[in-house]
Amino acid sequence: MKTELDIIAQAGLRYFGRTTASISHELKNALAIIRENAGLMDDYLAMAEKGLPIDMAKFKVLTGRIEGQTRRADGLIKNMNRFAHSVDEPLRKVNLNEMVELLAALSHREAAMRQVGLQVAQCQQPVVLVTAPYLLLTLLGHCLTYALTAVNAGGTIILKVQGDTPGAIVFESLNRLAALPPDAFPDERVTVLAEALGAHYQADSAAGKVGLTLKNLQ
Amino acid sequence: MAEKILLVDDEKDFLSVMSERMKNRGMEVTTAESAKDALQEVERGSFDAIVLDLMMPGVDGIETLKAIKRSKPELQVILLSGHATLEKGIEAMKLGALDFVEKPANIDELTERIKKAKAQKLVLVERQMENKLKSILEAKGW
Repeated sequence: MKTELDIIAQAGLRYFGRTTASISHELKNALAIIRENAGLMDDYLAMAEKGLPIDMAKFKVLTGRIEGQTRRADGLIKNMNRFAHSVDEPLRKVNLNEMVELLAALSHREAAMRQVGLQVAQCQQPVVLVTAPYLLLTLLGHCLTYALTAVNAGGTIILKVQGDTPGAIVFESLNRLAALPPDAFPDERVTVLAEALGAHYQADSAAGKVGLTLKNLQ
Repeated sequence: MAEKILLVDDEKDFLSVMSERMKNRGMEVTTAESAKDALQEVERGSFDAIVLDLMMPGVDGIETLKAIKRSKPELQVILLSGHATLEKGIEAMKLGALDFVEKPANIDELTERIKKAKAQKLVLVERQMENKLKSILEAKGW
């Protein structure tokens, strides 16, 4: 029989796996573009050796693309680094605004594959509480995956941070395809993770909203 | 004769640079940013090979491969992915993909595979013609 710890460990590992797979995929795309642009520069140079003039405007486009993709890869690695460091301490102070920003960045590809946009609506004030950052990210990731099931291609999910009680996060789906499937939430992982974090979840399937009210664990 | 290629990827920058490199190597390249656009191009044009990204928003590469093979089974598809797993590769080959290449791909290797795809397509088209002729001859009793 699976214990609660087994469920948390499996959910955490699964979230880690799919998040790093998604980031590595995006990184490979950025590297492929960098490599092909460098290759095209080589093609131009080979043509120049044969006496064909180099089109400087075209060459500049290539260096611009390489710079843009290098920035993209750097952003991906920074997010991966923040994600990796979320396991450093089992409990620590986190700002929910930053946490949701990171969640949106880590989930960008998952949403894009469904042709759904993510929008972060931060609280105007920092919302700081003591929690288990990696478990919270895992729980938020599962809730977001559930919210994505009901959004039509071209739709948007707003990730809202609220600064009350002491902090809450709401996923609100716009351009919904259907109501959220009520029997799919909460699953075993969400129940156990929320219990470990002392969080309360609410899902309003007709309105397409999933919310988490968090507790200060200090 | 130039190889006619359909290059399908949701990354605009990748499409742009890759198609230019292929053109520099004498190929005729058409590009598509989504599975939907790719399937429209397949209906419209004739290609020696399709270089298809496995992971795309909306309809993914495997589903696109199935649709291409349903519509034009003689078309040769090379799947390209930054996410190559053995399982996906096996699935793609079982569905009729000619090859599975991991990103970033070496352009010379990819060119070789495209030439192989063109040769394979010619064999298949010739076989289709032979079968057609055979069935006409049988039907007419000549």
